[in-house]
Order: sequence, then C-alpha cells, then structure tokens
Amino acid sequence: MNERQRVVELVDITKTFPGVLANDNAHLSVGLAEIHAVVGENGAGKSTLVKILYGMQTPDSGTVRVKGKDVHFRSPKDAIRSGIGMVHQHFMLADNLTVLENIILGAEPTRGIALDLRGARDKILSLCDQYGMKLDPDVLVEELSIGERQRIEIMKVLYRGATILILDEPTAVLVPQEVDDLFVSLRELQAEGVTIIFISHKLDEVLTISDAITVMRAGRTVASVKPGDITARDLAELMVGSDLPTPDTTVSTVTDVVELRIVGLTSLHTDGRVAIEDITFDIHRGEIVGIAGVEGNGQPQLVDTILGVRDAVAGALHLAGKDISGFDTKMRRDEGIGIIPEDRHRQGLLLDSPLWENAMLGHQSKKPFARGIWVDRTGARDITREIVERFDVRTPGVDVNAVALSGGNQQKLIVGKELILDPSVLIAAHPTRGIDVGAQAAVWEELRQARREGMAILLISADLEELIGLSDTLLVLFDGRIVAKLDPADVTPKTLGSHMTGVAVEEEAL
Amino acid sequence: MTAKITSLGAGLMERTGRMSSARKYALLFILGLFVLSLVQLIAGTKQLTAPGTWGAALRLTVPIMLAALGGLYSERSGVINIGLEGMMIAGTWFGAWAGWQYGPWAGIAFGLIGGALFGLIHAIATVTFAVDQIVSGVAINILAAGSMRFLSSALYTADTGGGATQSPRIQGFIGTFNVPLVSEWLGALSDRGWFFISDVAGIGAGMTTRVSWFTLLALVLIPATWWLLWRTVWGLRLRSAGENPWAAESLGVPVLRMKYWGVVISGALAGMGGSYLVVVQAGIYREGMTAGRGFIGLGAMIFGNYSPFGLLAGSGIFGYSDALRLRQDSVHAILLLLAIGLMMFGTYSLFKRNYQGSATQGVFAMLFFIWWFTTDDVPGQIVTATPYIVTLLVLTIASQRLRFPAADGVKYRRGEAH
Repeated sequence: MNERQRVVELVDITKTFPGVLANDNAHLSVGLAEIHAVVGENGAGKSTLVKILYGMQTPDSGTVRVKGKDVHFRSPKDAIRSGIGMVHQHFMLADNLTVLENIILGAEPTRGIALDLRGARDKILSLCDQYGMKLDPDVLVEELSIGERQRIEIMKVLYRGATILILDEPTAVLVPQEVDDLFVSLRELQAEGVTIIFISHKLDEVLTISDAITVMRAGRTVASVKPGDITARDLAELMVGSDLPTPDTTVSTVTDVVELRIVGLTSLHTDGRVAIEDITFDIHRGEIVGIAGVEGNGQPQLVDTILGVRDAVAGALHLAGKDISGFDTKMRRDEGIGIIPEDRHRQGLLLDSPLWENAMLGHQSKKPFARGIWVDRTGARDITREIVERFDVRTPGVDVNAVALSGGNQQKLIVGKELILDPSVLIAAHPTRGIDVGAQAAVWEELRQARREGMAILLISADLEELIGLSDTLLVLFDGRIVAKLDPADVTPKTLGSHMTGVAVEEEAL
Repeated sequence: MTAKITSLGAGLMERTGRMSSARKYALLFILGLFVLSLVQLIAGTKQLTAPGTWGAALRLTVPIMLAALGGLYSERSGVINIGLEGMMIAGTWFGAWAGWQYGPWAGIAFGLIGGALFGLIHAIATVTFAVDQIVSGVAINILAAGSMRFLSSALYTADTGGGATQSPRIQGFIGTFNVPLVSEWLGALSDRGWFFISDVAGIGAGMTTRVSWFTLLALVLIPATWWLLWRTVWGLRLRSAGENPWAAESLGVPVLRMKYWGVVISGALAGMGGSYLVVVQAGIYREGMTAGRGFIGLGAMIFGNYSPFGLLAGSGIFGYSDALRLRQDSVHAILLLLAIGLMMFGTYSLFKRNYQGSATQGVFAMLFFIWWFTTDDVPGQIVTATPYIVTLLVLTIASQRLRFPAADGVKYRRGEAH
C-alpha cells in the first residue's frame, strides 16, 4: 500500500484534566480517504484526542495539522470550517426538534431573515439520495430508532460539507445488521473521498473496516499498525497491555429449583402503549438468564415491572413459590431481589454522598445499616468497609463521595452492596457498561461466583459477548415480547442479531 | 373557560411549531362558547358574555400574558425564570417613573428596560456563574421589591402625589380604538338577547371596543414570537440551547449568548407587562401592584405547554376569572361553569383511558354542581381562586402531555459535553 497524503496529523499532544493525564504525547496521523481506527480501552484517551481535533478541547501542548497546515481550533466551529465533522458516541440530538432542525442547526440556510426550510429539505433529500440513506426530515427525533439517529448524525456532518469524519464508537449501540449497513455507508463515503476516523474497542470490526489502526493506552499512542499485519489477539494485547479477559462458559450450576417464576407479565407506557407483553419465564437457582435485545424494546420496563417500580396490568411473579405480585418495591427487595441498575449515575448512586450512604441505598431499613428507625452509622461504615475490601473497590476510605471514584469502582461498589446481603435473585442491567476491562472482569467473576452459590440472576446487556459468555439461557426481547429462547452454547452474534432486529420473526412468517 | 378548551391543542401546535389543525381548535372554541351561553341561560345571568366582562378580561389578560411570554423565551433557552415577578415589579416602577416624567409611551420603554436590567442580573448569575436558577430567581424577586422601595423613597417622596409606596400620577394615557363597524355592529347584536348569537356578539364587542393600542401591540407579540422562535435561525438556536445545549455547542451555536438573549428578553417582556399595569390600568405605581402576576404568568406558560398560543389561552383563563371577580352578580354562575367544564374534561379523560383522572374530575364536577344547586351565593374568594382551581384540575390531565424543554434548569458550562 503506497503512502497516502496526510490530511490529519496530531503530534505530541498532551492534555491534563484536574487529576488526570488524559493525553500524554499522543500521536495520530491519518491519510486521505482512509478509514483510520483509533483503538484503546475506556479511559485510554481516544475521546480526548479526537475532541482536540474537533476543537472541543484545547491541548496543553502539541501540534494539530489539518491538510498540511497548522491549526488552532478554539471551538468546533473552527473545526467544521476546516471540513472536520464529528459523530458523537452519545448522540448530540435534541429530541424535541425535528430531524431537519437538528441537521441544519448551526449551519442554517436563510431566505431574508427567515429559515429557508424548503431549501434545507431539498438539500437533505438530495444528500440522502447520493449516499443511499433514508430519512424523513419532518419527524421529531424522539420518535426515531438508534440506527436512524446515527444516520441523522452522519447527515449533520455531510450537510456541512465535511470531508473528514470522526465517528466515536459508532457501533456500540448498533446490532450486527445495522453495523453492516453502517460499514456499507462508510465504504461509499470513502469512495467519495471522505476521510474517516473511527474510534472503537471492538477489534474484529476494526480489522474488518479500517485501512490503518492507531492503538492507545493510558493516554499514549502505543502503536500504529496496518490491519493486515496484525491479529485481533495481538491488537488486544497492545491495547490492554496484558492478557485479554473473556467471558467463558463454565460448568453448569443450574439446579431444577425455580427461584423466580414470571407468568404473563404485561405493563404499559404512561401513554397507554404496551411496554412489555406476556413475558413468561423461570429463573432457577444457580442460573443466569440473559436478556438480549436492541435498546428500546422494553428492557428497562421489564426490570421496573419485576421490581414493582412500574405497575403490571397483567401477570404474576412468584419468588421461591410465593406470590409476590401484590408486593411493593420495598417488600420485593426485602423478599430478596437485588438490582444492579442500568444507569449507575441516575439510578444507582448519590454522587455527592459518601460511599457508606450509597451502600445503604435499598437496604436503608435493614441491619446492619439501620437500627429501628435510626441510621446505624457505625454498622453502615463497617459493612461498607467490608464491601470495599471484598469487592476490591479502590478508594481512600468509605467517607469519600461516590463522585470521586472511577466508573469501574463505582460499579464494583454497587455490585458489592447488592451482593453483600445475599439476595436470592439478582437483576443485573448492563453491569459492565462503560467500565474498564479490569473492573469488567471483576464484575463477571462476582456474577459467576454468585451463580455458583445458587443465586438466580437475570442479566440484561447490550454486550453480546457478555450475554453469550455468562448466560445459561438466552431470551431475546423484541418489541416488548420474548421472541426467542436460545442456547448460548450454539448461538452466534449473527443469529442473535437477526432475532433482535425482528428479521427472524419476519422470515418465519413468510 | 373557553380558552381552557382551546389550550388542549397547544401541545400539538408546540411539537411541530406549525399552526396545524387550526380548524379543530376553532371547533372546540365554538363548543366552549356554546357551553358558556348555556350556563348563562340556566343560571339566569348576563354577565358571563357581557361586553364589559370581556373587555375587562382582555385588559387583565395582557400583563399576565406578557409575563408568560417572557417566561417562554427564558425557559425555551433553558433557564428557569422564577424571577418574572421581580422583573415585572421593576417594570411597574420604571414604567411609572418614565410615565410621570415623559408620558406613557416612554413608560412602556422604560418598563421594558427596567425588566431587562433584572433579566440581565438573572442571566449573569445563572448563565455566567451557574448559580442555581431557582435560587437566583427568588433572589431577583426579593431584590426587585426591595430596591424599588428604596427608589420610591429616594425619588417619589419629595414630590407631590408620591410617597414611599407610590408614584405620582403619570402624564396622559395611551389611546384606545374601536374596530370600525365591527364594534358597533356586534354591540347592537349583543343587545338583542338572542341565545348564543348575542352571547358571541357580546364577547366580540367586548374585545373590539375601546381597545388600548398597547393591548394590540402586546397581542401582536404572540404570533411574532411564534414566527421568531420557529421560523428564524435565531429562534432555532435559542430552542436548541434549551433542548440540548451540548449538541448545540458541538455545532458551533453560541449557547451562552442564546441563553443571555432568552433571559434578557424574558425580563424585558415581564417589565413590559409591569408597565401595562401602570400605563393602561392604574395610571400610577403602587407597591405590590403586580400581586403575583409574574408567578401567574409562569403558571399560564406551563399550562400552555411552553407555546405562545397555549400561553395566550392560559393567560386568558386567568384574565377572564379575574374579570368575573369584579362583577359580583355573575359570581354564582361560575360554580356551574366549573361543574360543566370538569364534566367535559372527565369525559375526555375517560375517552383517553385515564380512569383515575376521569374519576377525580367527575367527583369534583359533582361537588361543584351540588354546591351551585344548593346555594344562591358564593364567597368572593372562590372566584379569585378560580384560575388556580382550574389550573390544578387541568394539570391533572395535561401534565402527562406537558413537554418542557429537555435541558430546562440545567446548569450548563461550556466544554462539559460528553
């Protein structure tokens, strides 16, 4: 492969945030019309590096060169003017604005002093034609799926005439079929001369799509390689710096005692639409039941309905043979249901409270956290110390606020405080989302340990490898219903993906 | 009450920013008028649709509406503005001072500037220094009340007619107009006493006779705001700052500047509402004359689901009930009006499968009906409280449809995007 013209060069970039060295003399060099992957663990500094390129952060030191010229971007506006566009991992869309409004925002065409809505619509539709994308400009973003939202994000960038496209973990939220669609689009963009910088930590995808790879670790660039010269295993080792942990199936510990039986569970959204419908399954002692599904197909509603946060309109729950359908959330928890919530910041922690208060959440009336109506501060601190020790939560003490901990340690605290009182059923919603590989391995090990000891676990995750690796039984949730029951031993991400998108259902119907 | 029904559509209108399904709301409006006629017939009063009532209602609506409109700009840009009351107080004082010195039109201009000044303080506190928006708003209210008292003592006590709590009378007044032909024609029609037709004509006559030019100016601001917020670049950017400032920033929108615009305009409009109280209604500044209208404006805006036409409807309900309070003999009929209005809402809720809401509204409808049937008189306080009762009851069904700006109240700092 001959050397392409360099369009983006980041040299010796250093950036510190209070207490964190995010980039430490990092490098990045990208050729024209290249699909360039930047890989690394969470917290390796990939996002900071591209945010510097996009003008969202200014580097403490280092040089940014675009198309051979030194640039000093002070805001994304400057970057956009240089033809750089970014698609963020968390979509940067306003839900209550239309697709068209989201696309034109910041680059609005005008007629006189009014918006030229018709002109904008024409331009968007012609861009859609050119790249084979489908978008309705006049619907509100809140009504759209994840894949469609990503298309809006890409369209936003194209609309501004970008020739350098930064994609921050674009496949993290997509199912396999959507990933394939995305890759087709990227190839088309590349053919039109667009340069693509692609951040990811999914190595097989990186090896499939990219022309060049930059590996980052702890804020530094540790390697620049070509995909043909390296295997996924070696790449992973570069990234992690040691052996890669994988979730693997161990000896089955599933017993034939049903711990949680769910029969015909149905609940509604506040506007009356069905959220989950006729959900029926059992979790045995020592079993992990995995729930797979694209986000927005009823996963949080299922969790909330099992917990009693959301009322069921039909169906029953039996915990160890006892009907708990009429119980409120606190009673259900007291009966032995534990929860690792989906969003640790919103549902799991009080960020500005000390760890021992956080450990109390959900146990606030139980020993040793409370004595009668009084908080038992000594008891709570002691048991929090025990959690910190047993679950390896790295913290200077139990009186520091939760906000001071890294995501992985926050998650270990949540897992610990749920497991320490030995629930009989544990609901784990995205237990390793957004945490580093080390903490991920620790959480996986805790779940396996709990399973060995006979706990019944419901695992909800967007990480298919995690689901397949940990689950004894795999259920697929689509449009609020369970559409497939699969054996994780003989399922591939591909077949799972087709169930998750409803493709398999449609094929069966034919 | 009629306005209440039309406001149900505000949510839809707001979602797309388009004036769609206007026909549907026109129909609802006519239905509301019909109910009003009917209630009037049953209760044997003429006041519910009398031109005088509706003229007063219009005058009482405008200041609330201006405050609500001010709230709209601020909240759409993502800053909660509980300081509307304080900004309105500033508007009354500055309006009176300039009105006394230079005449009524200067009063309006200075009222606007006075409000904008306090808006600027709110903007500096909340946008630049990320002070909690509620705390800053409350502080603005206290600060405005206190500093106006100070200014009154300093500037009004020395002169004749003024004092520590009131200003001298302003010079002159803003002219009024009758809509040519329409006003007289509707007036004549309303005297005929024909069921429904005369009632509608009475309402029309009330709103077309002796209308202040200031009122017209204020009413024009409603469609103007809609156009500005939904059809211009500036408006799109302002709304984006309130919906998702991180996204807006990533696209190069000057989010902080948009918030400044929103909050300062908010203060200016609230101040203008204050000057209306002075220039059109009282002709003088009296301490406490805003009487919570800033807060009521905030309520009217929420009721109207953060849309200009919705908040007009919300302000209309408050203005209308306020007007009824001033007309003693029609007070009793309001119980029947509440009963029937609630009954209609209850039916609507039932249709929407909101059984709990429907039951609540049904029970309250029955209670009001019994109350109306078994008494001949009600305490005046009930009428004063009517707008609040209506708001609370309507919110029991409307709250599920409310769509406040997604980043309203968020402390936003530059560069914190995820």
